[in-house]
Amino acid sequence: MFEIHRVSDSEIRLVGHFDASHQATAAEVFDSIKESCSVRFDELDYVSSAGLSVLLYTQQRLSKDGGALKLTGMNPHVRLVFEYAGFDQIFEIE
Amino acid sequence: MERTFSRSLDSLGDIVSFLKGAADTLSLDEKTRFAVNMAVEELFTNMIKYGIGGDDSIEVGLEKENSQLIIRLVDPNSEPFDLTDLQAVDTSAPLEERRPGGLGIHLVKCLMDEVRYEYKNKVTRIRLVKNL
Repeated sequence: MFEIHRVSDSEIRLVGHFDASHQATAAEVFDSIKESCSVRFDELDYVSSAGLSVLLYTQQRLSKDGGALKLTGMNPHVRLVFEYAGFDQIFEIE
Repeated sequence: MERTFSRSLDSLGDIVSFLKGAADTLSLDEKTRFAVNMAVEELFTNMIKYGIGGDDSIEVGLEKENSQLIIRLVDPNSEPFDLTDLQAVDTSAPLEERRPGGLGIHLVKCLMDEVRYEYKNKVTRIRLVKNL
């Protein structure tokens, strides 16, 4: 189960298990972001490299206009994946 | 224990259920469960991307041997793709130079203690070891 909610213009909430089969659904929402945005991970159990690629692409696009994603509430397992990928150096993680 | 899965991203949900059942049976801790789930999902997704296709299912198996967990994935109809021979991902590159390619395999190598690849007669066999 995976859900993505656009809570507001500046907040997205991820829920469940974000694997490759949900990449297109998530990309559609992230592509609609035009400026800096907070992404809540507190209800997300899992994210695969397909999910990381959606976040990376969005971060690269926003950074061209000085924007960025801020990622909050990660569980320790997901946090470790971000560290292994070196994504803790290119994302603000709270 | 082992099971075969259709060559489709739609199988990922069934794989998660299978791995959960196997993890319960083998009494795996949370950290190991997460690592196994991620490694199998990444490799399965990769096999779909780089396999030849057709109706051949992909086999996933798990077993405990002493203090090690052995995970096997077998694709009976595939192109050669040696994941142990890929260029390392630069995890310290600046944002604009990052590329998503190879990230999944990089994560598998980080999460597992051993990754072996074998290719023969169109059959890909991947053997992972996770120390318990």
